[in-house]
Amino acid sequence: MKKKTKVLGILMMILYLFIVIFPFIWVFLTSMKPESEIWGDAALRLFANEVTFEHYQALFRGNILNALKNSVVISTITTAYVTILSAFCAYAIARLKFRGKKVLLAVVLATSMFPQMIVVGPIYKAFVQLGWTNSYWITLPYSMITLPVSIFILVTHFSKIPISLEESAMIDGASKMKTFLKIILPLALPGIFTSAIITFIGVWNEFLLSLTLNPNDSWHTATVAITYLRGQFQIFWGQVTAATIVVTIPTLIIVLLFQKQIISGLTSGAVKE
Amino acid sequence: MKKIGPFIDLHLGYFIVMPAIIFIMIFSIIPIAESLQYSFFDFQLNSQQKSGLYFTEHYNMGLFNETIEYLEYYLDSEKTVQSSAEIIEKIENLESKLPILQEEMHSLIGTNESIVSLDVAKIDSIREKNLVIMTGLDDIYQFGESSQLQEDIYAVASELETALIPSNFIGLENFKTVVKDERARHSLVVTVIFTAVSVAFEFILGLVLAMIMNKAMRGQGLIRTFSLIPWAIPTSVAALIWAYLFNGSNGIVAVLLEKLGLIADSTDLLLTGSGALSAIIMADVWKTTPYMALLLLAGLQTIPFNLYEASAIDGASKWKQFVSVTLPLLKPSIMVALLFRTLDAFRVFDLIYVLTGGGPGGQTESISIYAYKTMFAQTRFGYGSALVLIMALVVGIISYFYIRFLDVKMTAE
Repeated sequence: MKKKTKVLGILMMILYLFIVIFPFIWVFLTSMKPESEIWGDAALRLFANEVTFEHYQALFRGNILNALKNSVVISTITTAYVTILSAFCAYAIARLKFRGKKVLLAVVLATSMFPQMIVVGPIYKAFVQLGWTNSYWITLPYSMITLPVSIFILVTHFSKIPISLEESAMIDGASKMKTFLKIILPLALPGIFTSAIITFIGVWNEFLLSLTLNPNDSWHTATVAITYLRGQFQIFWGQVTAATIVVTIPTLIIVLLFQKQIISGLTSGAVKE
Repeated sequence: MKKIGPFIDLHLGYFIVMPAIIFIMIFSIIPIAESLQYSFFDFQLNSQQKSGLYFTEHYNMGLFNETIEYLEYYLDSEKTVQSSAEIIEKIENLESKLPILQEEMHSLIGTNESIVSLDVAKIDSIREKNLVIMTGLDDIYQFGESSQLQEDIYAVASELETALIPSNFIGLENFKTVVKDERARHSLVVTVIFTAVSVAFEFILGLVLAMIMNKAMRGQGLIRTFSLIPWAIPTSVAALIWAYLFNGSNGIVAVLLEKLGLIADSTDLLLTGSGALSAIIMADVWKTTPYMALLLLAGLQTIPFNLYEASAIDGASKWKQFVSVTLPLLKPSIMVALLFRTLDAFRVFDLIYVLTGGGPGGQTESISIYAYKTMFAQTRFGYGSALVLIMALVVGIISYFYIRFLDVKMTAE
């Protein structure tokens, strides 16, 4: 009986892994098929008769590299400033006394729950008036989607650091600011790194703001640019599949390198400790 | 200088939360308030009379000046066309009045070319001046030879009325329209079905997977890494991948579903309403179940193993253990995971936008998609805001029920 359930479990895990991975494998195989084999009966064959890289070549002649550059720049800028802002804010929430802390927490939580669509209209109008559409100013409203998550992850991390460290620093006469910068911050670096990665992935994957605020081709981010590969009348699946592989690779690298941090970041809000 | 340092340090909390608060104010709170404001107006960005929030009557002096200029230009051309001396005299008569009227308007309203708010008492005298011009034109064309310019001149002259901007404050009218709007109701139904079905599947599958993963097993690290991938890739990319796998002519999954007899024809999947909605749900379940499993797994790992041992000694069956040990202790994790997933699913945009675009024929349009189209395709920001606010209200109610009645405890306290 026990062995049976174990075998069943293993089988289910194998099926699960297969379902998770299959779309990527299939898309990867398609991206190397010549156009003639993407349509008709050949489309359902696993391997291409003639392996080709023409779709990748066509792709790189297009807009995708520029879009990837935009994504890298925008995600990096946003991650940098959001992480700094939320580190300070989270430390104050976790450790310092100030009035209105509960209200602040409630507001942060509420903004993370609000549909993004609600801020897009006014922000779009403001951006049009300021002439900020199609620019890297888009990094500023990205704070709306990333700050709350980042603050929550960091509050959890700061709360875990033993308070005795701060108390002894205080006794030694260190100011609160100094205690934070010299003692707490270095200890919290793993947590800060975790929140930075989650922020980076959040911005990298963002779609709605990018679609509305940077509508010009040359300012598209990767997530938006690849949706424009589908022409109006004909779909070049070869290029679309090649593009999904190219855009997925950076994410894959991040996941493989930092999976521990990502999992701890994702679950820190969900598990009561 | 000496005093400032200790002062800042004493109140350090206020100083270091400030930057984050400023950002939250500018990019969340103020836009939300603005959206609320939009929803009470018939606010349309591309309409000359509705592109602002006009609580009272306004006047567009720039448009007035421009109109006078055009009228002068057209009347000059008309003079060369008309042959009767009497008519030419009438034209000259009207032309001589225009600068005087313009002068009077400037003294009445000011020379500021932007759109300014208008004293209601002045409306009559503005209308009078418009009337002078209109009767002047009527006088010319009643007796003059008809000319090709006539239509253009009247079109230009009609802008005089456009310059007078009525208030576009409509109170709760947008919300009343939403209630009556068939398309809005349909989008709400689509959103609710999508949310309920996908979250239910994700939760049940996620829980089963988490319980299997929780058993000590070789390759656990590998399984966890793979589980992160669907969550980590951009939704628009996942939607494109599935658009390919689901498409009727060469999509392997569509063909597979046809072979299994789940759909009659592989093209049905994206070309019928129910097929497309199922496709969207399948794609979402694929993308989010692993994430749900990881969240629940983290919760499972906090349950002490000796509780299971103790209940086993008491002779509890596996099922009994699940019901009386696992579920109660996992409840906080379950509730938080369900809350966040429900809210996320309710505002679904990217997935539907890329996978079906709301089609076929608007049948998979969620509220977000409908609101987006209203705002950015039709530039009706007032009505769009009303739609989003109603969505936010529903989201608020859902969160309230989760937090209040299902006893979700927020962490970080």
